Amino acid sequence: MLTSLYAVLFYGATMVLVAGIAYRVWQYSTTPAPLKIPTTPAPLTRGGVAVRLAREVVLFESLFKANKWIWLFGWVFHAGLLLVLMRHLRYFTEPVWGWVVLMQPAGLYASFAMVAGLLGLWARRIFVPRIRYISAPSDHLMLALLIAIGVSGLAMRYVARTDIVAVKAFFLGLIYFDWQPLPADPVLLIHLTLVVALMVIFPVSKLLHGPGLFFSPSRNQPDDARERRHVAPSLTTPLRAEAGAKR
Amino acid sequence: MAAYQMNGTTVEHDEEGYILELNAWSEELAKVIAEDEKIEMTDEHWEVVNFLRDYYEEYQIAPAVRVLIKQIKKSMGKEKGNNKYLYALFPYGPAKQACKIAGLPKPTGCV
Amino acid sequence: MVELKIRQPVPGEEIPDPAAIPALVPGAMAHSRPYLASPEHQEAIGFPGELVDDWKERAIGKLGELVANSRALRVYLDTCVKCGACTDKCHYFLGTGDPKNMPVARQDLLRKVYRRYFTFAGKYFPWLVGAEDLTEEVLDEWYSYFHQCSQCRRCSVYCPYGIDTAEVSMAAREIMDSVGKGQKYCNEIIGKVMKFGNNLGLQEKAHRATLEDLEEDIEDETGVAVRLPLDEKGADILLVTPSADFFAEPHIDGLIGYAKVFHHVGASWTISSYASEAANFGMFIGSQDNMRELMLRIRKAAEDLGVKRIIFGECGHAWRAAYNFLDTLAGPFDFLDRRYPVPQHICEYTYDLIQKGALNFDKSLNDDIRLTFHDSCNVSRASRMGDKPGGQYEIPRAILRAVCNHFYDMPADTIREATFCCGGGGGLLTDDLLELRIKGAQPRMRAMQQVAQDHGVTHIAAICAICKTQFAKVMPEYGFEMDDVVSVHQMVSNAILLDGQNTGGEEDDEDGEDGAERAVSGG
Repeated sequence: MLTSLYAVLFYGATMVLVAGIAYRVWQYSTTPAPLKIPTTPAPLTRGGVAVRLAREVVLFESLFKANKWIWLFGWVFHAGLLLVLMRHLRYFTEPVWGWVVLMQPAGLYASFAMVAGLLGLWARRIFVPRIRYISAPSDHLMLALLIAIGVSGLAMRYVARTDIVAVKAFFLGLIYFDWQPLPADPVLLIHLTLVVALMVIFPVSKLLHGPGLFFSPSRNQPDDARERRHVAPSLTTPLRAEAGAKR
Repeated sequence: MAAYQMNGTTVEHDEEGYILELNAWSEELAKVIAEDEKIEMTDEHWEVVNFLRDYYEEYQIAPAVRVLIKQIKKSMGKEKGNNKYLYALFPYGPAKQACKIAGLPKPTGCV
Repeated sequence: MVELKIRQPVPGEEIPDPAAIPALVPGAMAHSRPYLASPEHQEAIGFPGELVDDWKERAIGKLGELVANSRALRVYLDTCVKCGACTDKCHYFLGTGDPKNMPVARQDLLRKVYRRYFTFAGKYFPWLVGAEDLTEEVLDEWYSYFHQCSQCRRCSVYCPYGIDTAEVSMAAREIMDSVGKGQKYCNEIIGKVMKFGNNLGLQEKAHRATLEDLEEDIEDETGVAVRLPLDEKGADILLVTPSADFFAEPHIDGLIGYAKVFHHVGASWTISSYASEAANFGMFIGSQDNMRELMLRIRKAAEDLGVKRIIFGECGHAWRAAYNFLDTLAGPFDFLDRRYPVPQHICEYTYDLIQKGALNFDKSLNDDIRLTFHDSCNVSRASRMGDKPGGQYEIPRAILRAVCNHFYDMPADTIREATFCCGGGGGLLTDDLLELRIKGAQPRMRAMQQVAQDHGVTHIAAICAICKTQFAKVMPEYGFEMDDVVSVHQMVSNAILLDGQNTGGEEDDEDGEDGAERAVSGG
């Protein structure tokens, strides 16, 4: 029963996540960018743009220019999250890839860093008046959700250990459509439930900001307006599909 | 629409005090507008106002500040032919404030 | 008029950091709003005369249309994570403390409505994500705060996703125009360009008289017959410059500078009375249709006059529009000589000549000036000069260093891509927003006070008609004189030695009452 419930939840959440991201990417890529608006100084070539975007993705370059504290907390959180996700690959692969085995300890430290980064961001959201002013309830809730996921994960490692062999069997079972029982361990269930919630919320919330960077004209356009005539067709149909709220 | 009152007649002006009907201008009206702007009209003020009106009549626009300065220099002497002196006469700017008193439209743009 | 209390620092006193973050003062600028456009001004440029009855439906429909047609707007409205990086980057926030002048908060005024009507979360959980219905109060708030954004793009530099509040405020203004709530300053001016060819309403007869007058002045001053040609068919170069260059101080001194440079190298050039405006306020109101209409005038003038090149004068947003949008909206320009960039900036032109050694200067003629340079926002963050990124910073400075012995930059975090807007850009250069303009100028003015204190800087040079007018107006509030702002090409004009030019002070004095003392120092 429990196994079936979580199996369905994860299949559902995965579909929502993948479809949601795909839809958003499709939407961005089919929306025209009628004018050249790179924030200058900007690279003059496509290759240069790739480097600019890579610096933004890897180093959070603009954020670093803007505010060292937000940069520190944000970068530590994202880097930590990346390592933690990589570490989790061991639950989805058999045999576990060599580099995943090697980075396991790093993944552990990263989980602490991730939670610390999130706490730092949350503290700023609460204590810096400017950021408190711009925060909606959802901004706080998302931080709470991520922190709860991190803390429940850490709890399974350091407080109430769970049967990770069985957990791995469960997830491999999901992948190969050969369901295996999920341990009825409360901390694990909390962790997994929150992850499902995150996966569902992700595509309909600001959490989906990653693709935005790649489609942001101020960052992804080369500065070549005089060298190459920029022409983009304008659509004329308004957003009917979404303009559903008839008012 | 707001309006200037004078001798029982009213002359409409826009939000900023520029009269709408340019033909409605008279010297009396200029005094009323100047009073509104807290400016006491001296001969020098009249000199500027009259020059603006003459120029406008010929060209349908107020003269460039530089042209105005040159005129002042000619008629009032070198020491008065500068932007500062014009601002002393019309603290809110010779182009805008003097045009208002002269009953001309406000110069628009990045000026 | 608004009474303002801005204390000028006494000599020797420590000048506050231009980027110092103020305490939040909610509602501090809620009263600030420009005059509404009249029905005539609205209708002349294709908008409803006054607020339409079904404004709410139309506004939401327009928002949907804009989002569907602009990847930038869609991505910017979706992507913000409220990280706070931009919150202390806007000069209007720094100058007023009003939290709605924080870029993200300004965007949120539109974003909350977008979320309400166009996103899943906002439709079903509005309270959770800060989504709000479009109401009259919201519309009023848009009108107030989207006219407190000079579209300078400083926030965009610091945003991790490059979210540009300029795009958001342009969209908001476009929506307001489309329901009949336009701004007088911008819309009246756009109508004037459609009718007369320029923002001023300067007609051909007056235009010609003004240029002839300047020719006389230059000849009186230098002894050289420098021409300012108008509508001369067959000229090589069409100069498109802000009409303020034909009217205001110190703009007109910049125009004289262009003319002297052209004269010195024997260039064949002309101004057009039909397209006598570089500025394009269509950009400020986010109206591509109007922007294109104004640009087509420039194209037509270039075709009719048979020129080979188009050069733009000193104007910030005009250069953005020309550099980035002209070819897209009014191109292709195959009839021009494609060996030259289309368009070119007058600074690029002068710089190239300096590099070739084609201009002669006596830098000491500018020795009474200790100069700094204001990077205009649209030039700095939305365009380029020359063939390398950042040429828009180097080229004007190289020109100034070539004509002036005493040049000092303002603090590094207030120039180049981090430059602070003058406080009057983006369609806000109007008397009804004077309080905002004065407060918004504070970061730039503090930076200038700093170099004044450290290096004895006396003047600030600008390459934008709006910056020049704005500085002339607000500098007295910060302890400077109104004529402490100069045009870049005014500095060129002061120092250039034309062939056959009168030299030596005495000759100048004899020569006339209209002599050189006019230029900068005296007034």
